[in-house]
Amino acid sequence: MLSSGQANPSGKADYLGLGLLILGLALPWILYPVLATNIIVWALFAVGFNLLLGYTGLLSFGHAMFFGGASYITGIVILHAHLPTPLALLVGVAFSVVLAYIVGVLSIRTQGIYFAMITLAIAQVVYFAVTVFIGWTGGENGLQGVPRGTFFGIPLENDRMMYYAWLLIAIIVVAFVKRVIHSPFGQVLKAIRENEQRARSLGYNVDHYKLMAFILSAAVSGLAGGMLVVHQHFTVMDSVDWRTSGEVVMMTLLGGMGTVYGPVIGAAFYLLLSDRLAVLVNAPGVVIGSIFVLTILLFRRGIVGEIIGRLDARRARGSQEA
Amino acid sequence: MLESLGGQIFNGLVSGAFYAMLSLGLAIIFGLLRIVNFAHGTMYMLGAFVAYIGAQSLGLNFWVALVASPIVVAIVGIVLERTLLSRLYKLDVLYNLLLTFGITLFIEDAMRLKFGMQGSPYVIPNQLEGVLNLGFMIYPTYRVFVIVASLVVCIATWLLIEKTSLGATLRAATENPGLVRAFGINVPALITGVFGFGCALAAFAGVLAAPVNNVAPLMGDDIIIPTFAVVVIGGMGSILGSIVTGFLVGVVVALGAFFYPPISGTLIYILMAFVLLVKPTGLFGTLEGSR
Amino acid sequence: MKLARLLPLIAACGMLAPMAGPIQPAQAAGNDQVVIANVGDESGVYSGLDGMGAVVADQMAIDDFGGKVLGKPIKLVHYDHRNDAGLANQETNEAIDRDHATLLVDYTNSATALSGENVAKAKHIVQIVTGGGTDAITNNPKYCNKYSFHYGYDVYALAHGTAATLTKEGGKKWYTVTANYAFGQALYDDVKAAVEANGGQVVGNDFVPLGTSDFSSFLLKAQGAKPDVLGLDNAGNDTVNAMKQINEFGLKKTMKVGVMLLFESDVHALGPDYWAGSTVTIGGYWDLDAKSRAFAERFAKKYHGNMPTWSEFANYSAVFQYLEAVKRAGTADSDAVVKQLEGHKINDAFVHNGYIRPQDHLLIHDMYLAEVLPASQVKQPWAYFKIIKTIPGEQAFRPLSEVKCNLQ
Repeated sequence: MLSSGQANPSGKADYLGLGLLILGLALPWILYPVLATNIIVWALFAVGFNLLLGYTGLLSFGHAMFFGGASYITGIVILHAHLPTPLALLVGVAFSVVLAYIVGVLSIRTQGIYFAMITLAIAQVVYFAVTVFIGWTGGENGLQGVPRGTFFGIPLENDRMMYYAWLLIAIIVVAFVKRVIHSPFGQVLKAIRENEQRARSLGYNVDHYKLMAFILSAAVSGLAGGMLVVHQHFTVMDSVDWRTSGEVVMMTLLGGMGTVYGPVIGAAFYLLLSDRLAVLVNAPGVVIGSIFVLTILLFRRGIVGEIIGRLDARRARGSQEA
Repeated sequence: MLESLGGQIFNGLVSGAFYAMLSLGLAIIFGLLRIVNFAHGTMYMLGAFVAYIGAQSLGLNFWVALVASPIVVAIVGIVLERTLLSRLYKLDVLYNLLLTFGITLFIEDAMRLKFGMQGSPYVIPNQLEGVLNLGFMIYPTYRVFVIVASLVVCIATWLLIEKTSLGATLRAATENPGLVRAFGINVPALITGVFGFGCALAAFAGVLAAPVNNVAPLMGDDIIIPTFAVVVIGGMGSILGSIVTGFLVGVVVALGAFFYPPISGTLIYILMAFVLLVKPTGLFGTLEGSR
Repeated sequence: MKLARLLPLIAACGMLAPMAGPIQPAQAAGNDQVVIANVGDESGVYSGLDGMGAVVADQMAIDDFGGKVLGKPIKLVHYDHRNDAGLANQETNEAIDRDHATLLVDYTNSATALSGENVAKAKHIVQIVTGGGTDAITNNPKYCNKYSFHYGYDVYALAHGTAATLTKEGGKKWYTVTANYAFGQALYDDVKAAVEANGGQVVGNDFVPLGTSDFSSFLLKAQGAKPDVLGLDNAGNDTVNAMKQINEFGLKKTMKVGVMLLFESDVHALGPDYWAGSTVTIGGYWDLDAKSRAFAERFAKKYHGNMPTWSEFANYSAVFQYLEAVKRAGTADSDAVVKQLEGHKINDAFVHNGYIRPQDHLLIHDMYLAEVLPASQVKQPWAYFKIIKTIPGEQAFRPLSEVKCNLQ
C-alpha cells in the first residue's frame, strides 16, 4: 500500500499543531486575507481527502464532485431558500454524505486503479449535471452573487472576520479528524491500509470501514466546498472539474499524506505557489508539474512527512549514541 | 432517416476507432505494468504534433508521419519509462498514475509555450480527400480510412499478442514475471518495449486525428477521460475487450448524440455507471482484474 | 554523506521558498503612481487570442500616453487567471488591495468577467471588460453597476450583426449548432430572434456540450435539413474543430456558414482556406485603415511578429481611453473617472463613432461584417478579413429600450 510518513504518535506534544495555530492566527496580517481564506478552504478540502488516501489507501480521482457539488448546493440554498449560512453549510455536507453513500456503494469494493477510475468517471457525471441544470447552476457563468451572511453573529462581509470564522471551523474539524485518526476506528483504517487481507481475516468488515471513511472524507470535502462558495460569493464549473480533483491529490502529496498537518501545509504551499506563479512566470504547468514529479520520485513522504521522518531518524540515532 | 442513421453509425465508428486505439494501448500497458498511464492522452497529442512539425519543417507527408510519429513518440515513452516510471515499480501502482499526471501537466504546458494554445493546421492527404459513395450513403473518404486503419492496427495488435511466441512470452510475463525471468528472458526490456508500443499506438491515433481535429496542446485532455471510461466499461486489461468496447461505445454515444445532443458528453459515463451496477468487473473483465 | 541525507530536507525548504514572496508588507499607498491591472488568461485556452498580447497592448497604450498621467507614473501589473473564476476573484482583490490598482481590464471569458465584476462593484474600482462576451455584464441587473464597463462586443452584437445580414441577403433557412453553456445559449437566442425578425426561420438546432471535439453527428443532421445557412454559436476550439469538420463533410458547397465569434488567431491556427467564405461580425480590425495598421505594425514588433487580434486591440483602446478620462477628471478617483467615461465620444485606432452608453456602460460603436478570405487572396499574414460592411453602433447593439439595466 501507499507508504506514508508516520502520524504524530498521540501523547507527544503537538509542536507542529501549535506552530500552525499561531501561524493561522497571524496569517491574514501577513498574507492577503482573501488568499489566506482560500488557503483555509483548500487545506480543509485536502484534510478531508487525506482521510481517504492517507489513512485508507484509497485514491479517489473524483473528489471534486463533493467539494464542487456541495459548493453549488450550499450556494443554491442560500440564494433560493435564503437559509442562514451555517445551516446552508450543513445542507452542503448532507448532500456530500448522500452522494458519497451512493458512489461508495458502487465503488468501494474495487481497489487501487479501479477505484480511481470509477470515482473519476462518476465525478464527470456530476460535472455534466452542473452544465445541464443551467437554471440552477448558472452554467458557464457560474453561480454568482451568493451573500456571505453572518456566522453565529459574526458579520462575514469583512474579509478578516470571514477568515477567522473559517479558521475556527477548520480548527474544530482538524481536531475532530485527529481524534478520529487516533480512535479505534482510525486504527482499523490503518490496519486495512497496511494489509487488507489480514484486517479481513481478523474479522473486520473491511468494506463497511472503507465506506465510512469515504463518507467522512466526502463530508469534510463538502464542508470545504460550502465554505468556498460563501467566501468567494460564487462558485463555477472549475470546482467540479477533474483538474480540481487532481489539484487536491497534488496538495495532499506535496504536504505529506497520512500526516495530520501535511495536507494543510501542502494546500498552503500549492496556493502560494500558484499565486506567485501567476505574476512571475508564464508556465504554471511546467513548474507545478515538475515539482509534483520530483516530489513523487524523491520526497514521497511530502513536506511534513519528510520533516517528521528526519526528526525521528535523528532522535533514534541520538538515543543509540547515548 | 435510414441514411442519416447509417451516417451516425459511421460517425460512431470513427470516434470508436480512436477510443479503441487509445484504450488498447492503455490495456496493454496495464496488462504488463499494472499502471494506468495518465499521460496516454499526452502521447496522442504528441503524435499529432510530431506529424505537424514533420510537415512544417521537413515537408514529411501524412503517410510518412503515420510511421515516423509513432516511432518518435515510442522513443519519448521509452525514455520516460526508463528514467522515471521504472523507479517506482516497487511501490504502489498509484504512484505511477500520479507521476504520469505530473508528466501530463508538464508536457502540455511546455507544448503551449512552444506552439501556443490555438493549435495548428494539418490537412487531409490528397489521396483521401473528398467523399466516398458507399452504396447506401455518401461519407468522407478520410473517415472511412480512419475506421479501416484503426481496425487493421487493432486486429494486428491482437493477433500479435494472442498468436505469436512474443505474445505468449508477454502473457506469461504478465502472469508470472519470476518464471519468465527464470527462462532467461529480460523482463525489464520487455516492460520498456511494451510501454513504448502502447505510446506508439496512442501516437498513431494522434496522427489519424490531426486532419480531423485541431492539433492543440490540450487535445489529449478531451479524449483521455472518456477513454478511461471505455477502459472501465470494457474491463481493465482485456485486449479484445478494449477494442470491441471502444467501437461499441463510439456507436452508442453517436446514436445518443443523434437523438438528444446535450447528452453526448455524459452518455459515456452514464453507460459506465450502468455497466458497473450490472457487472462490476466490466464487460470483458475478470474478477481478478478489478481487485 | 550527511549532506546527502539532508538533501531532501533542504529541497523541501527550497520548495517553501515561494512562500517568502507574498509575505511582504503591502506596498506603500499607491498615491504616487497610477496602477492598471490586467487580469487575463495568459496560459489557458484563450491565451492565444487574448493572452500576453493584451498585456503588450496595454503597455503600448501607457507608453503612447506618455507613461505619466497627472504627473504620476503609470504602472501596469498583470495577473494570469487561467480561466479560473476563483483565481480571477482572488487576483482582482489583490490588484485592488495590494497593488492599489484603479483600473481592472481584460477578463477573458464570461465567468471571470462576472466574478471580477462583483469585486469591482463591492470595492468601487473601474473595470473594463474587453474579453468576455456575455451580455449579462451590462444587461443583467444582478451584475451591472456603476464601475463596470463592457468594451468591444457582446453576444447581441455578434448574433444580430451576422444573422440579420445573412437573412436579409436571402439566407432564410437556418440550422444552428450551439455550445450548450450560457454564452452559446445567449448567442442562440439572439440569432433566432434576428433571423425571425428578418423573415427567416431556424429549422433546426443542436445544443452540443462545451468542449466537443467531434461535430460529425450534428453536421450530418444539419446536412439533412438542407439549410441556407449553418450558424455556429460557439467559440474558441469548439469553433475551430467544427469548421475543420464542416470542410471535411463538404458542407460549404451547399450552404453558407455564419461564425458568431471569430478572432484572427483562430483563422491563423487553422489556415484561412478552412474559413474562407464564412461570415462573421467583428468589433474592430487591425487592417482597417492607416491608423490601425500603424498600431498593428508597432504591436507586431513587440509581440513575435503577430498582428493584434481585435480583442487585444480593444485592450489598447480601453486603457488609453481610461487614461484620457483620468486626465479629464484630474484624479484617478473612481467616481470622477466614471463620470468622465459615461457618454464620452470615442474615436481612436480601434473604436469608430463610439460612445459609452451611460445607462448600461456598454461601448456603442461601429461593428463590421466581415468575410474570411481564401489563402490565395490573403496579402500578408494575419490579413484574413475582408470588411463587407460597417454596422453603425446604434444598429449593432441592443437598443436602449430593451436594456434591462439603468445606472442613471
